[in-house]
Amino acid sequence: MAAAPTAERPAIARRGPAAPRPGPGGRHRQNLPGYLFLSPWLVGFLLITAVPMLLSLYLSFTDYDVLTPLREVHWVGWDNYRRMVTADPSYWHAVRVTLTFALVAVPLKLAVALGVAVLLNRTFRGVGVFRGLFYLPSLLGGSVALAIVWVSMFNRDGAFNSLLALFGIQGAPWVNDPRWALETLMLLAIWQFGAPMVIFLAGLKQVPTELYEASSVDGAGAVRRFWHVTLPMLSPVIFFNLVLETIHGFQGFTSAFVLSNGTGGPVDSTLMYTLNLYINGFVRLDMGYASAMAWVFLVAVGLITVVLFRTGRFWVHYSDAEEH
Amino acid sequence: MLHRKTHATRRRVLAAALALPVLASVAACGDGGDDDGSGSGKAVELSVFWWGAEERASLTEKALALYTERHPNVTFKKTWQANQGYFDKLATLTAGGNAPDLFQIDDNYLAEYATRNVTLDLNPYRSDGELDVSKFPESLYQYGVVDGELAGVAMGENTQGLVFDKTLLDRHGLPAPTTGMGWEDHIAWAERVSKTAKVPGTQDPSADYKAFWVWLRQQGKDLYKGKQLGFTEQDVTRWFELWKGARDRGATPPPDVIHEGNVTDISKQLVVTGKAATSWVWANQMPELKKNTDDELGVVAYPGDPSGQWARASMYLSVFRGSPHRDEAVDVINFLVNDPDVAQVLGTDRGLPSNMEVRRKLADAVDDPAMKQSIRVEDDLADKFGPAPSVPPAGHSDVKKELLKAAEEVQYGRQQPAQAAAMYFAAAKSAVGQG
Repeated sequence: MAAAPTAERPAIARRGPAAPRPGPGGRHRQNLPGYLFLSPWLVGFLLITAVPMLLSLYLSFTDYDVLTPLREVHWVGWDNYRRMVTADPSYWHAVRVTLTFALVAVPLKLAVALGVAVLLNRTFRGVGVFRGLFYLPSLLGGSVALAIVWVSMFNRDGAFNSLLALFGIQGAPWVNDPRWALETLMLLAIWQFGAPMVIFLAGLKQVPTELYEASSVDGAGAVRRFWHVTLPMLSPVIFFNLVLETIHGFQGFTSAFVLSNGTGGPVDSTLMYTLNLYINGFVRLDMGYASAMAWVFLVAVGLITVVLFRTGRFWVHYSDAEEH
Repeated sequence: MLHRKTHATRRRVLAAALALPVLASVAACGDGGDDDGSGSGKAVELSVFWWGAEERASLTEKALALYTERHPNVTFKKTWQANQGYFDKLATLTAGGNAPDLFQIDDNYLAEYATRNVTLDLNPYRSDGELDVSKFPESLYQYGVVDGELAGVAMGENTQGLVFDKTLLDRHGLPAPTTGMGWEDHIAWAERVSKTAKVPGTQDPSADYKAFWVWLRQQGKDLYKGKQLGFTEQDVTRWFELWKGARDRGATPPPDVIHEGNVTDISKQLVVTGKAATSWVWANQMPELKKNTDDELGVVAYPGDPSGQWARASMYLSVFRGSPHRDEAVDVINFLVNDPDVAQVLGTDRGLPSNMEVRRKLADAVDDPAMKQSIRVEDDLADKFGPAPSVPPAGHSDVKKELLKAAEEVQYGRQQPAQAAAMYFAAAKSAVGQG
């Protein structure tokens, strides 16, 4: 391995003087190695992402049912999209569930992440250990094991109710109660606040200490320093986390799937958009319809992101931009 | 030199990459099944796919090894997994044209797969005598027929079984339920169990299609009439009201525990987790239930007239229509269902053997007490069984799922029986495509 580059280098040097060769042909030839080096990714992207995505766009206008060969599907025009909007109550139910989930879980998760980041943004013994511990749940990500643990903690005889029982409180059967199942999922999502927390921590380190010193001199207390120095200085990082977590929140699937045995239950209380999509595609074998749902989802999440970017102009402050 | 070499390799890789799909499609389109018969002795590897627990896997592997022993040219590529996710995978494999040569399937999807020409019509093999189903009870064979095609061969027979915790009842001096007990009597009995033993007497089966189905048949109705629903909205209302009454009397567990029982697999049924004294299952699941509890279990028919029950195909084996080794695959099915030695290996894991002769031999030889019990209860019921309904139409799995949802709306007290029944009836109608 090590020998190859050294053997190559003189060759490049020798070719060097002849290199400036203007004209489109030469330029093209220069790009070729670049594309070749990119090819593992490029081929993967085309075969595994782009082609299936375009195919699903086509399928969303058909009655494809997975079992029938692709060449025998029927074009149904906008039927799938029409059905979603006008004739499928469970679709709108899933939209409501997903919006509720994202609107509650995402802001809370960011608030917790920011709060803990502020607490951990100082130097004391063992701060590294604490940072690691708080980050740990995020590492486990959307894992199935974690969702299973959650189910066993938050059912009728779960650990959480045993804890409540110590205070004489009779807890609900959380995950098996349609009034609380979604909230239990939200809690799981919020608990995994480690990833945005780490990003917030990095952001906090960037805030110039002079600003704090200056505001202290002017008589600002801790709360005012947080509101008038930390938050504005951190706004680009908050914005970044908000966009990322919103997209992530809308895509919640694993925990809802595991918690409800793939049904979205009890009584559809955890029927997230992606879970509903999965049920339609892989359980009902209504893949044409599921593809249409996926495309609407893609466009919707895209639009929400655009809206976030638009509103971001009003509250995100880039310190270097202000200098211009 | 080095440069040219990499080029050559790259070209070869490219060529291989291009050739792969072509080869795959050739393999998928080719119907080698016609030109090499099972006796040709050519080496053949059949892929087999089934769902189940570890126990079933080891039994099935032993049975298939027995086949290889007799036909050394045939080997198996075995894949198995838990029931959850099984049909997702089967559908995906089928979509890619890579369905296994032989696969296990049940009522949920048999009609779906058969009407989309995924399963091979086994009728020609039956008339050739290569597939012998002559010793099957007629109803069991008929169960695998979809639109005139023999789409699957019943791997076993089962029927509804009400399993109770005998140890618990004995401890409190309570009587065991009996076959033929009416529905109201069952609920009254369950209420007594709840009060005396402090364990809910019976799981609330209102979300369970097979209990609903038996109850309907006892009143001269059915879940389906052909491809239409065989019941009315009023029937659903009465069914939901029956169980609302039972819950109000404390005969059943609270809704969240009912829900656990509704969605769990066999290993966590309430009768084995001790959360109810009775569970509504299939009679052949006794040995599997027994594995998860130290208590002694008993099994009887569902309440009401046992003629509401029928001999049902617990599951089928089907052959993929696009398989290059169709003849061999059919021969394996023939072996699995008709060979008495195989039955000794498989036991009643997939239900009582479909072949009556084989079943009798197994009944004589069996010594596992739970298996004995499930054989006995089905034998006792055999002459009381009503006629078998035809195989459920496409949309059956939705009909089941919608019942779960509607029944739980009532169980959690979020909807009144009539309201939930109206919702269910509309959803079930659209699931079977009934206007």
